[in-house]
Amino acid sequence: MGDASPKAYFDWTRKLFDRSKIFDKPEALRGIRVLELTTLVLGPTTADFLGEFGAEVVKVELPPGGDTMRYVTPEATYWKNASLGFFPENHSKYHVGIDLHADEGKSLFKQLAAKSDIMVENFRAGTLDKWGIGYRQMREVNPRLIYVADSGFGQWGPFSQGRASYDAVAQTVSGMIGITGFPGRPPILCGIFIGDWFGGLMSATAALVALHHRTRTGEGQLIDFAQSEGLIRTLDWTWLRLGLTGRDRGPAGNRDEAVVPAEIFPCRDGYVAIAAGRDREFKGLCAAMREPALAKDPKYATLEARQKPQNMKALLERIRGWAAKQARAEIEAAGVKHGFAAARVATAKDKHDDEHLRARGSVWEYEDPLYGTLVEQGPAPKLSETPARIKWAAKPVGWHNHDVFTRLLGLSPREIKDLQERKVVGQWADRPGAKPPAEWDGSARI
Amino acid sequence: MSDGHAHLHEAIIPWAQYAQELCDPKRVHEKPEALDDLRVLDLSSGNFAALFASSILAEFGAEVIRVEPPTGDVARLFTPEGVKHKDTGLAYLVEARNKRHITLNLEKEEGRLLLARLARHADVVIESELPGQMDAWGIGYRQLSLLNPRLIYLAYSTHGQFGPRARQRIPDYDITSQALSGVPYVTGEPEGQGPAESSAPTKQGNWIAWYVGGGFGALAVLAALAWRWQSGRGQFIDLTPAEAEMRFSDAGVIWHHAAQRIQERVGGLHIQVFPYTLIKTKDSYSFIAGFSDVNFQGLTNIMGRPELREPFATTRDRIGKARALHQELQKWSGDLTSEEILHRVQDYMLNKKGPGTVATARLNQPRDTLAESHWWDRGVFQKVEDPDYGELLLQAPPWKMSATPPRIKWACRPVGADNQIVYLRYLGLGGERLKALKAKGVI
Repeated sequence: MGDASPKAYFDWTRKLFDRSKIFDKPEALRGIRVLELTTLVLGPTTADFLGEFGAEVVKVELPPGGDTMRYVTPEATYWKNASLGFFPENHSKYHVGIDLHADEGKSLFKQLAAKSDIMVENFRAGTLDKWGIGYRQMREVNPRLIYVADSGFGQWGPFSQGRASYDAVAQTVSGMIGITGFPGRPPILCGIFIGDWFGGLMSATAALVALHHRTRTGEGQLIDFAQSEGLIRTLDWTWLRLGLTGRDRGPAGNRDEAVVPAEIFPCRDGYVAIAAGRDREFKGLCAAMREPALAKDPKYATLEARQKPQNMKALLERIRGWAAKQARAEIEAAGVKHGFAAARVATAKDKHDDEHLRARGSVWEYEDPLYGTLVEQGPAPKLSETPARIKWAAKPVGWHNHDVFTRLLGLSPREIKDLQERKVVGQWADRPGAKPPAEWDGSARI
Repeated sequence: MSDGHAHLHEAIIPWAQYAQELCDPKRVHEKPEALDDLRVLDLSSGNFAALFASSILAEFGAEVIRVEPPTGDVARLFTPEGVKHKDTGLAYLVEARNKRHITLNLEKEEGRLLLARLARHADVVIESELPGQMDAWGIGYRQLSLLNPRLIYLAYSTHGQFGPRARQRIPDYDITSQALSGVPYVTGEPEGQGPAESSAPTKQGNWIAWYVGGGFGALAVLAALAWRWQSGRGQFIDLTPAEAEMRFSDAGVIWHHAAQRIQERVGGLHIQVFPYTLIKTKDSYSFIAGFSDVNFQGLTNIMGRPELREPFATTRDRIGKARALHQELQKWSGDLTSEEILHRVQDYMLNKKGPGTVATARLNQPRDTLAESHWWDRGVFQKVEDPDYGELLLQAPPWKMSATPPRIKWACRPVGADNQIVYLRYLGLGGERLKALKAKGVI
């Protein structure tokens, strides 16, 4: 490459990652089928992250109500008869309704598992084993199957037996809530289902590790993942300091205790995060604040000096005073100019309207045959050769019954009708969350 | 089957026992490693997203070689109150597991030539320089992929390698990525609920954006690896921790699209489900959930307050009148310890005293979590005996796997500790030549 100028580089990356060319490129997980039997967020995200990379996800729900997340939506408000909380973790999936309490339903499910590469479930530990469709049974049907068991506390151990869990249970037992928020104030929940989403990410990662092993050896395996344990993993230096010094960690407000300075500050028109851990970045921040002497002050000149609690406190107060008089955009521009990190605390509208995020596909606008235009958070990693993508939106319960049963199991329309009449398979209940939009005219098929 | 558990699959033993024996953390070292055919160069600088990504790959068996400048990665200095253990910051000691550590000065031409030679031997390169810096040095993906077309190249930055803001290059930190993700905006107490300082958008206490970014990095590398099996080709992965955490922001963007609504902060309440909240107890706080109709029935049974079912009959009622319902919950919980609440809930659930599923947990400080045997039984925490750093308490890899479980082999290495073996093994550089490179400040 002759021309290594910034312009040449960014011209090259623009073409390499061109959002409009995504559908002209192949998918990394082409040919991988994921069988999903999950509810709420942890299990569905596990499958969704694989689906973004091209795995075919068959989502099995118990008809007619389906996944509980169909009824979890902001302020209990439905949109086009759908839960807004259900879309972000259910993309491009094939929605199938099977009654797994019925023997025939179990048999259909087993047939699907025989043709799948990865199965994901998030029932309480041992439930599917009892139903006869757990790992022990499935490995007989399909020894190559990678079986992901997502849960709150794991498949074994004292807390795993009969104890219900949700995202916020994981936040609570992991210690995450205990180190978040402001000292002396009531504890707060993370404003998103962080334990679920992070758990889904960890499970999807392990599934691909297992896939690599299977490619090498042909062998499937069981993955036991607990979302509480996922969050414990993210608590950076918390455990090590406890082990070495016996000192526990509590909430520290909006500052980063290890990188100094780094805090979220109020400014004229909102909030902005500022960080300048390296000494040269701190020098840049001081220049932006028009206080170059601060960078030479022995109390602040080095990161190690700035990390001393009394120095940190005094320094953050000075930055707070400066930030309060600036606008978000001014501080961001100063960061770019002077080489420190600065970024606004984004609102949903900031993200929705952001041309940068749209050009990158991190805010993803698309047309769905059933729901029309949607705008959502898009896939996070950008891959140059096999970019992740969203194809269609979540669908009502059992929407793809015919497609899946015909294509994968070879059932005839008459056989499907018979199964439906006997309630072995089924479609949506007549209630918001499960059913199609009122204006659906029967034409949208996918 | 080859997993050595044939006897288990035959017998009818309880699921929990079966799963434990299959995934016993005490036996991980008897089993193979899934990624032991991978070699990773982690060149990142002061970036725990990159470090967590390479930790995951290392836990699953990849040979990860950390490439640091001769003075060491600044990440070794990111530590609370400047506390070090044997000259190394605490955070770094957590994310250096199973990694070899070499030094190489990329600011020198000779250092960059050595890096290019090492990259010929690598399956994965991870870096976190400002976008375009590696390319300007002649060792970016454009150049390295010519030497090694199978290379998977993962680059971390805050605004990414392309897009209108890509040229607004800033160093990548957790706090700025958390801010951009929008998660702090919806976390914390609403304005007016308490003192001004704390009634503000609130970050997670830990480096959550960096950890999410790291997780997505490992996932993306593995997806690229799956593609490489098919195509024989590597690729470029552009990843920002800000967008990674943003992907998690629930219905945030779609709610704005559908109803022009902006999600705001509600402290310990919740806007999608209720009760799903933190309540004050006699001795601490507890989380408690019973948000669907049937689960709320269960919760009100446990509380002995069935009459609450009428004023809070529907999901919409419960979310709409969350503050009033929260007060009712606290009237009940204030007289009970968190442990007593857990016992009442479990008694109701395990003895099937009525319908509904209720979940609860005592608010743990990390010390409380560490005192619970569950995590130790499951190998979630591990005391690692490290040859260089002594005994360290670390959070272990979070997965239990029957065939290829992840593991910790060692915790960390001093700066440049693996120079001899790595330069000899991959570049045939030993003895005097290595010394000369060191004298010149190249390694």
